Amino acid sequence: MKAFRQIGALIRKDLGLQFRSKETLVLIFVFSVLVVLIFAFAFGPIFPEKGERGKLAASVLWAAFVFAGIITLNRSFTAERSHGALHGIRLTGVDASNLYLSKVVSTVIFLFLLEIVITPIALQFLDLLDVVTVGILLKLFGVLGIGTLGFCAVGVLLAGMSTSTNGGESLLSVILLPIVIPIIMGGAKCTVSLLVTGELANGFWLNLLIGYSLVFFASAYLLAGAVIEE
Amino acid sequence: MRLRASQLTKDFGHRSIVKNATLSVNPGEVVTIFGPNGAGKTTFIKILATLLKPTSGELEIEGTDAIEDYSDVRGMLGVVIHEMLAYPAFSPYENLKFFGQMYGVNQLEHRCRVLLTEVGLQRFAHEPLHIFSRGMTQRFMIARALLHHPSVLLFDEPFSGLDAAAKQFVLDRVAQEQQSGKGIVITTHNTELGYLVGTRFFFMINGELEAVAQKDEIAAETLLLMYEERLTF
Repeated sequence: MKAFRQIGALIRKDLGLQFRSKETLVLIFVFSVLVVLIFAFAFGPIFPEKGERGKLAASVLWAAFVFAGIITLNRSFTAERSHGALHGIRLTGVDASNLYLSKVVSTVIFLFLLEIVITPIALQFLDLLDVVTVGILLKLFGVLGIGTLGFCAVGVLLAGMSTSTNGGESLLSVILLPIVIPIIMGGAKCTVSLLVTGELANGFWLNLLIGYSLVFFASAYLLAGAVIEE
Repeated sequence: MRLRASQLTKDFGHRSIVKNATLSVNPGEVVTIFGPNGAGKTTFIKILATLLKPTSGELEIEGTDAIEDYSDVRGMLGVVIHEMLAYPAFSPYENLKFFGQMYGVNQLEHRCRVLLTEVGLQRFAHEPLHIFSRGMTQRFMIARALLHHPSVLLFDEPFSGLDAAAKQFVLDRVAQEQQSGKGIVITTHNTELGYLVGTRFFFMINGELEAVAQKDEIAAETLLLMYEERLTF
């Protein structure tokens, strides 16, 4: 019960901080929209046929979410470290794994909400919103959700390490992106499949996405104590 | 015994910041550690607070091994260090409520209100911490340290940057907590206030902790002379 109470308090606190910081909220939203607009203007206004548009939309969405995720992770851990708040949390005796778990959950919720807002905007700009049914959209959010979980599972652990060093913000991008490549590949391929055919045609990419996300989530959960306490 | 530290050493690379420090704190005792900047006081307090792992030595808090079982002892500690240990975007009330939930404090809302009144921040309870002055922040930090009824208080330079009224507040509060049986460790370079607040004195110079005297064994002037002598040695 104590662990659940602590995890709940940490998640509420994280989301409270994320949504209170209008600066971060606006930055991440504008950044994501900007990525969508750059792609839309570069390839538009007359878009290729549906198959090509699906591939384009998948790359736009994943590029936007990966970079928005890095900004979110950096901001989140900077807030923890800048006034010793992380020490304050450690002093409450919370288990480091639960601290990690709460950070993953709150970051996933925040990014997933961003994805719910940005995805229809991207599909509209790339002239795909009309051809995407509610069913496809729900499957798409499922894929994005799993990908976001895998991304955050690795990202929270690495952000915990990198933000305690000098130049940690740029360091996170350098160390995180190579590790999450399988998640980006799997997620992008699943997204293409959904937007082009309306189905998850090739199970390999979905299995890779789910498997990789879960393996990293479990490994990072076990390693969290060493990262946070050391 | 509230706290027992034995032969604590902390090395960063090849440099020893704290060297074989030994200290014990009994209930109702205020141990004052005097030392100049860079003497290792903050590092020592962070080791006692279990925020830093010592390179060697032993640390027990309320009879529990604080190096191995740090999670078990952290709830017994109230800590005030240079950092706020809280979220500046949140108000004092929000911070206390959050940390109270983490500690599992009973009747939390009542406890938050009482504490904020006691430290004189009731009028600013819902203002964000980032607008607070140094003195107000220090008051909040003391409230945060006392929130969960800890048995050991660790204060690192609690008087620095405070005006006379705020210093008096810290003195009064420490005296109040001492009477309630808490074991208290305070580090300071202010010999006058450190003498006023303490019941037993130590010097920490170049990472070495030296036991000086009990308060009833030494006058303030003598303590000051000894301290200046050590600094110039």
